[in-house]
Amino acid sequence: MLQLLINGLAMGAIYALVALGIVVIANAVNVVNFAQGENLMLGAFVAATLTLTFKLPILAAYVISVIVLAFYGYVFQRLAYYPLRQKPFITIIISTIGVSMFLKNIARIIWGAQPLYFSGLFGEKSIMIGRFAVNPQHLLILGITGVLFLFQHYFFNRTYLGRKMQATAQDQEAAALMGIKVSRMIAFTFIYSSMLAALAGVLLAPVFYVSADMGGMLGLKAFAASIIGGFGSVPGAILGGLFLGIVEILCAAYVSSLYKDAFAFIVLILVLALLPRGLFGEKISTKV
Amino acid sequence: MKNRLLQKLAWALLLGVLLVLPHLLPNNYYRGVVNLSLIYAIVAMGLNFIYGYTGYISFAQAGFFGVGAYTSALLVVDAHWGFWSALPIAGLAAAACGVAIGIPALKLSSHYLAMATIGFGIIIQMVMQNWERLTHGASGVHDIPSITIGTYNVDSAVGQYYFLLGFLALAMFVTWAIDNSKLGRSFKAVREDEIAASSAGIDLTFTKVFSFALSAFFGGVGGSLYAHTSSYISPDTFSFDQSIVLFTMVLVGGAGTVCGPVIGAIGLTLAPELLRFLKEYYMALVGVGIVLIMIYMPQGVVHLFSQDGRVGRWLQSVKQRSTR
Repeated sequence: MLQLLINGLAMGAIYALVALGIVVIANAVNVVNFAQGENLMLGAFVAATLTLTFKLPILAAYVISVIVLAFYGYVFQRLAYYPLRQKPFITIIISTIGVSMFLKNIARIIWGAQPLYFSGLFGEKSIMIGRFAVNPQHLLILGITGVLFLFQHYFFNRTYLGRKMQATAQDQEAAALMGIKVSRMIAFTFIYSSMLAALAGVLLAPVFYVSADMGGMLGLKAFAASIIGGFGSVPGAILGGLFLGIVEILCAAYVSSLYKDAFAFIVLILVLALLPRGLFGEKISTKV
Repeated sequence: MKNRLLQKLAWALLLGVLLVLPHLLPNNYYRGVVNLSLIYAIVAMGLNFIYGYTGYISFAQAGFFGVGAYTSALLVVDAHWGFWSALPIAGLAAAACGVAIGIPALKLSSHYLAMATIGFGIIIQMVMQNWERLTHGASGVHDIPSITIGTYNVDSAVGQYYFLLGFLALAMFVTWAIDNSKLGRSFKAVREDEIAASSAGIDLTFTKVFSFALSAFFGGVGGSLYAHTSSYISPDTFSFDQSIVLFTMVLVGGAGTVCGPVIGAIGLTLAPELLRFLKEYYMALVGVGIVLIMIYMPQGVVHLFSQDGRVGRWLQSVKQRSTR
């Protein structure tokens, strides 16, 4: 049981990371980035290549991958978001779907269709906690994401740049009137979001194989998690992610493992129908 | 004067080509591709109702397509019904699913609705894959018999072409009729401004749910046609990716128009064949293409040619210059 919980929490932490990336962008520019799952995939592949082909030490590979994705985040927003920033959001969403298609297939071309495996910092051993064998990578995931959330809270609330980004997210016009360079803040938001995805990718890679398809379903579930937690709310994204991770693994274990992927969406639809705020968030149902 | 005559000739030529198309194509493979594009055109036209006319994003269309295909296939293969009885049931089953997603969707807007429809579509696909007793699971349904009209068996690619063309024409006629009817106007009113529509007396609940049901019905009918012309269906076809492709067809062709989804469907079904030389780069380019289309022609091909579109205005300026 403890094993299940830790698995669930770890997976949930990954969902939370990705969901956070989605929510941060959604708050800033009111757009859902459907390519976020693919960003994770890219981060994982970059780290895998650095480790396997260039034989860099794993920690270095992690850090470099996150940095590379930061650059990518800037390029992505310049090419796929910026030209469309005035258009209706459905246009932008479709554009991000296009990017996700592009990334998935380019990844397949560059790295081939065979999944890669790269072991994390711990290799394949499990450690024992009491009677339970636990995968240390899961603990690492929980640890790092915990630290990240603390850091993020500090960054957004206590630093000047963080507060500027928050201001941009709350009201672009007012922020501009206060002298904040809105387009630069938006660029930073995208950069931050893709760094989050990269981190999620490198943390996740040792748990599953790294493949071009790893991003798709995960991105969708993370989006579902962010809605469950209350779309637009940062703690909501985190808690929604953790919640989803646990629910998913419990349902897979006790109800049916065949339908594992469906549970996330069943929960989502239930939440949307019954609890329109999500767990924490803005009111998402509108009176007809 | 000359312009009118040219226009009429152009239409006549188009009609002529349509009538003899299967005989112009070198082999059954290409005929099959064309037939597939006709089916997707019908399904895309369904999506057009909920997205183009009513303004709601739905990524569940592949799910409705699948429900129709499976309902029809299973009724005929496992329950030994005939095609013509299975077809309407397939449409209605899909429509019921449309209602099932439509009702919770009443309260949702924009990204939440999109997400809910994605989830719904995925759940449908998972049921197809895993409820083996009913759906034969991942191995799909084989040996689906072809359609019979009286004693005539529609099992050749050529025969199927004319049959599907007929259905497509029917679908286009129905769409055109709805477009010009009170129902069509209520859809568009909901798209433009719900509150105003409601104060004008439009029953929002009925309109929205019916729009989903109608879209799903078209999808279901398309699914049934697909099952009986392909003779094999499996859950892989009815994925979220497919919903994206369908959505792109509507978007690229022109949402909210009668011809738009048809053009989009034909274009996006033929394109992989024509661009086969790109091999594995094809899908990546589709991705890039989508981004570019969103930047440069977000309203679709049909709009480009209409009076406000770039091509339309260019044509008008050409006409003006030639009459001076």
